[in-house]
Amino acid sequence: MQFNWGKRKPHCHIRGPFCHREAETRDRAIDELLEFIWNLRENGVSDVADLQREASDPEARNILSYMEQEGLFAREGDKVYLKEKGEEKAREIIRRHRLTERLLMEIFELSEEEAEKEACKLEHILSPEVTDSVCTFLGHPPVCPHGKPIPPGKCCTAPEKSVRPLVMPLNDLDPGAEGRIVFISTNFPARLDKLSALGVAPGSIIKMRQKKPSPIIQVGETTVAVDPEIVHDIYVKAV
Amino acid sequence: MRKRGKNRGMESKDFNRKSTKKIILVGNPNVGKSVVFNYLTGKYVVVSNYPGTTVEVSHGTTKWRGKNITVLDTPGVNSLLPTSEDEIVTRNILLNEKDALIVQVADAKNLRRSLLISSQLSEMGLPFLLVLNMEDEARERGIKINYQELYSLTGAKVISTVATQKKNLEKITEELVDLREATLNISYHPALEEAISQIAEFLPEENISPRSIAIMLLSGDKSLKRWLHARLPESRINEIEAIRRSCQAGFDQPISYLINQVRLEKVDEIVRRVTMIKPIKRKRLSTRIGELSVHPFWGVVILIGAVYLLYQVIGVFGAGVAVDFMEETVFGEYINPFFIRWTGRLVPVAWLRDLLVGQYGLLTMAMTYAFALILPIITFFFIAFGLMEDSGYLPRLAVMSNKIFRLIGLNGKAILPMILGLGCATMATLTTRILESKRDRIIVTLLLALGVPCSAQMAVIFGMLSGFSPMMVVLWAGVVGLVLAVVGYLAARYLPGEASDFVLELPPIRLPRIGNILIKTLSRIEWYLKEAVPLFALSTFILFIMDKTGILINIEKGASPLIKGVLGLPVETTQAFLIGFLRRDYGAAGLLALARAHALSAEQILVALVTMTLFVPCLANFLVIVKERGWKIGAAISGFILAVAFTVGGLLNLILKITGFKI
Ligand SMILES: [Zn+2]
Ligand SMILES: [Zn+2]
Ligand SMILES: [Zn+2]
Repeated sequence: MQFNWGKRKPHCHIRGPFCHREAETRDRAIDELLEFIWNLRENGVSDVADLQREASDPEARNILSYMEQEGLFAREGDKVYLKEKGEEKAREIIRRHRLTERLLMEIFELSEEEAEKEACKLEHILSPEVTDSVCTFLGHPPVCPHGKPIPPGKCCTAPEKSVRPLVMPLNDLDPGAEGRIVFISTNFPARLDKLSALGVAPGSIIKMRQKKPSPIIQVGETTVAVDPEIVHDIYVKAV
Repeated sequence: MRKRGKNRGMESKDFNRKSTKKIILVGNPNVGKSVVFNYLTGKYVVVSNYPGTTVEVSHGTTKWRGKNITVLDTPGVNSLLPTSEDEIVTRNILLNEKDALIVQVADAKNLRRSLLISSQLSEMGLPFLLVLNMEDEARERGIKINYQELYSLTGAKVISTVATQKKNLEKITEELVDLREATLNISYHPALEEAISQIAEFLPEENISPRSIAIMLLSGDKSLKRWLHARLPESRINEIEAIRRSCQAGFDQPISYLINQVRLEKVDEIVRRVTMIKPIKRKRLSTRIGELSVHPFWGVVILIGAVYLLYQVIGVFGAGVAVDFMEETVFGEYINPFFIRWTGRLVPVAWLRDLLVGQYGLLTMAMTYAFALILPIITFFFIAFGLMEDSGYLPRLAVMSNKIFRLIGLNGKAILPMILGLGCATMATLTTRILESKRDRIIVTLLLALGVPCSAQMAVIFGMLSGFSPMMVVLWAGVVGLVLAVVGYLAARYLPGEASDFVLELPPIRLPRIGNILIKTLSRIEWYLKEAVPLFALSTFILFIMDKTGILINIEKGASPLIKGVLGLPVETTQAFLIGFLRRDYGAAGLLALARAHALSAEQILVALVTMTLFVPCLANFLVIVKERGWKIGAAISGFILAVAFTVGGLLNLILKITGFKI
């Protein structure tokens, strides 16, 4: 499997269609190809040649034409695009893959390699219910550990708290408690720069000093007063 | 609050004499950089680092290897990838100063953030000396640092100091010989590295490494625009932007953030290896005070106490006792009679005499105003402000008031100019520079001009209100407060631009050092005299011209229907309003004179006071607004205020009439 990824991410989602070469079942292979097309698109590529190169062995080519018949994707000139059915399916796979990565790396503290391997297995197995539970458990993370977006699921919009999330907004931490920052989710890039220059970034141990009248957080010997929105944006795992 | 922004251009001639060697101090805010600077140069300037106070780059000279060389104290920074004006200034100095000796002053107890800057200096290829200051505070917190290990991991020469006790400071100049480049170099994600080297190839040889500039550009640093345009053709700049864009497309998070994260990871690894922490259980008293000062309940109690103390010191003593003494005794009995006598003898021309010592004389009126009325007030104000600043209370005050200011779309930092506005709106308008966004600065400038009574005016207003029931005070403050809140809310809503984030570092509570406070106060007074006195002179001059040409009388005549019809006040108050524009407190004083003569009813006094408080700021304030914000905004603000003042005054008059309310 050779695909020139330019100088993009060397790990995560770039292992091509066959996470595990021994993928025997057709469903599994379809999943992998859909995931592959999704990733290609995310990187701004949708060239049919790439796909064809990947699908050089006859088995994969069979699957590809089967998928086209099934209406999962279509070609237009030398471009490939997902059709509605394929889009839906690919979205779910990507979501499962990236959520599992988060779970394995952040919670079970698996190495990146191991997490990737396991994620590739689990992405084909998890039921939608379990996926949403994992998502809730992790506090509905917006991105995977590599910074790739996780497509949101039903659970992300419904503000239900049936499972107590292990990763939670800093705001849910009691005053005086500490947590390790897992990710910061914000629409304001300037905010990220400002916070990380003060040492508030993923991996740091952060202490919630107080919530009222203004939230005050502490990282090391640095004490910072911030807006309430900012403590909602910082997701931590209690330590 | 000093000449911020002016020095930020890379063209600034002062910093650009490239031939001679210089020592440049860089570091985070609140690490004792200024104390080191003062030690080296033997001269105190502005010591603490509250945003806005050391933005001016301080210069001095020191002896180094038998020669006098310049020392530059740069504004405190959290990153050399600039996100604020301060950081732009500092980065530009590093970019432009060739062959400088760089001293990074760092907080020993906060090694992590210090090394974040070290890594950037190292990336720039600049040799530097790492001075770990406040070693005593680190020890108090049970933090021990292995300097040898730190040296071997970073390649930067390291010394530890306690600047406030002058401990080890002499080593700084000794160690500045044979500085070598640090080796704290970080490699990023391959995709980023590729883009960095592509961009770096386009860049000219500079004082700092092309790699570091490439990283800034890749991070989307817009402050390099001018620098870039001066050196590269448009096509290259577009190419760089294209590289940046396609690189960013491969990541969901901003590149600058990804880079910062990698730096932090590396720094954390070093910190882990060089520090040993023995947690100390006992809470220090200063920590406890710090906590109480931002407590939802005790914080308010302390806040009220602090405001009361401010009022006593500035309002009662400064604006009362000290001003009385200066105005009546010093100027009234000695200085003014002296000027009048000598001008009478030396200047034969009558109008020139008038210009100097007449009713609107430059020597009598402008000088009395600047030195007798305002100087004592701002002196006490600066002392109190300095105490709050150096003790670390000021940012905590911003924390306590953040919620209130958020209601009107601002953040807690706005309290600083607002409090200053109670001293003098002119000066406060200049300090709006500490606010981050242009939008916030305009809103605060507007509110200051609209309804924050300056101390001189406040004294007269309280003088007038004191004869009446507390109801009067409540109504006056209530109406003014309501107008401020409504205008602030609407301005925040309809002015374009995002509200800026409230991210404010709280330095530890410390006992202020009197010497520093006094020196700081002196340098601020010097600044005030330079900035404000010429404006007072100019306003007096305009008043003089208007008086001589008869414009003053005509405006009075023209405005009287408005005064009588809308506000329901006697015609005589017109003059008070007019003078109120030129000098707010004198306007109020005019009202006071009328009230004393029983020419006004209690209701009329209320209407007059509310209108006067909301009324256009004094001319000096107006001129500062124009200077800071430009003619367009200056005119818009003034027009708006005029309309609001008369509308509110008119409505109040109407309501009082209709309801037949008696105070
Ligand atoms: Zn996979
Ligand atoms: Zn990933
Ligand atoms: Zn979810």
